[in-house]
Amino acid sequence: MERGTVTGIIGPNGAGKSTLLRTVFGFLRPRRGRILLDGGEIQGLAPHAVKRRGVGYVTQGANIFPQLTVEENLHLGAWILKRERRRVGELLERAWTAFPHLAARRRARATTLSGGEAKMLSLAKEAMTEPALLLVDEPSAGLAPRITDQIYVRLLEARDRGVTILLVDQNIAKAVEVSDYLYLIERGRVRREGPRETFASEMRAIIRDSLLGA
Amino acid sequence: MTFARRLGWTVCGGVAVAWLPWVSSEYHTHVLIVSLYYVILAIGWNLLAGYAGQFSLAHHTFAGIGAYTSALLVLHTGVPIVVGIAAGVVLAAALGYVLGTLCLRMRAIYLALATWAFAESVRLLIQVEYQFTRGDLGLRTPLLFGTPRPMAYFYLFLALALAVALAVRQLVGSRIGTYLRAIRDDEEAAAVMGVDTFKWKRAAFVISAALAAVAGGFLGHYIGLLSPTPMKFNEMAMIIIMVVVGGLRTFPGPIVGAVFIEILSEQLRAWGEIRMVLFALLVLVVVRAYPAGLVGLGRAALRLKQASRGVARVLRDR
Repeated sequence: MERGTVTGIIGPNGAGKSTLLRTVFGFLRPRRGRILLDGGEIQGLAPHAVKRRGVGYVTQGANIFPQLTVEENLHLGAWILKRERRRVGELLERAWTAFPHLAARRRARATTLSGGEAKMLSLAKEAMTEPALLLVDEPSAGLAPRITDQIYVRLLEARDRGVTILLVDQNIAKAVEVSDYLYLIERGRVRREGPRETFASEMRAIIRDSLLGA
Repeated sequence: MTFARRLGWTVCGGVAVAWLPWVSSEYHTHVLIVSLYYVILAIGWNLLAGYAGQFSLAHHTFAGIGAYTSALLVLHTGVPIVVGIAAGVVLAAALGYVLGTLCLRMRAIYLALATWAFAESVRLLIQVEYQFTRGDLGLRTPLLFGTPRPMAYFYLFLALALAVALAVRQLVGSRIGTYLRAIRDDEEAAAVMGVDTFKWKRAAFVISAALAAVAGGFLGHYIGLLSPTPMKFNEMAMIIIMVVVGGLRTFPGPIVGAVFIEILSEQLRAWGEIRMVLFALLVLVVVRAYPAGLVGLGRAALRLKQASRGVARVLRDR
């Protein structure tokens, strides 16, 4: 993956898309092969160690703490910055500017947020550590199209700031639209890969393949 | 709340019950000592199961390990009792570390099964190695204060229970407490946050094992006779019952529950094993109807009282 680009992973259910992200983040160990981050091997590292190397992970669903407030969740997002109080304060201010919806509800418990707001919080929380690589799993799952669009806008903004994004998505049209380079995987193997332009022109065939799993 | 205030409350709590042995019979003082012993066990188990969400079934075993280690060391090598107890605590913590390393990657039910298997193995080992441990014959241990009279032991256990309560309260209010609760609520989200979940789960396991060994070690040198019987699963069940009835995940829960159940258990001594059935029913009722336990009930009553006072004020002012 090139720095500051979006790489999309698409494929049918059970293809191993989420498994790929979980392996990169260290929840799973690869049976073979290497995972390189800035030239250093990270396979076999525990999740907390991967996090400290500058990787963020927006999991499927919302990995937020429902009983805590929006602001507390963001503080937890910045957990590994422990002692850098001032930096956390700045990052928090930045999050409020970037996500005005959340700023309006900073003292609300996360459980009272709508699905879209929860997803935004999840994104904002990962942004608190300014990751160099962001893993994003199905950002559009279960959300209204209008909200989905906003989330993709956020991801592209992050990319423009230089964040590298690895995106897993069932929403093929959207994935092709925002990714610079894509992989179609099936049963754990890469079936097709290429830059967006190639994928866009082959969309029909891809969607058919992906749906029928042929 | 700061440490100084918590310390103040702890001392107040101690003073509030310090007069009890002067007005109670030795038998009742003994019951209080055993209650305090269970308070320490219940606080430790609540730290592990309630705060960190790791449902271990070997807590009573660590108390037994503390007691047997100390007794055997003192009997065979003649070290002072305090050294024996310290050795028991170190051994329990070390075994907790090893057991934690082996088991804590397992999820809920597997962790419970693995710790249960460990507990039974240790108990059987002590039972079978009777040439060394005297097994079911019972192992006589020297008494800490040289006398079986309970007065002095009451103050010892009161001080221990208060110290443990203060230390654990301090712990759950710290960053580490936040780590533990995050792991309990959503281990994956905690890991995504950057918490080394395995390390902290194991730390909670080691701390709770060490606390259990402190309680077990001292109790052994008060009772003066060890046997593998209190290492049976019944004992673990009692600890769970105490914490659940008092209020799992609340800080005062295990304290209230341990004292309540131990005293109730003594009151109903004539009922024998039927008590366990009664307690089991009690647990079912609490879990089904009011998971926050006695402490939650108390807090709700307090809120209700404040609310009704508020309503009364509003009505009066009209």
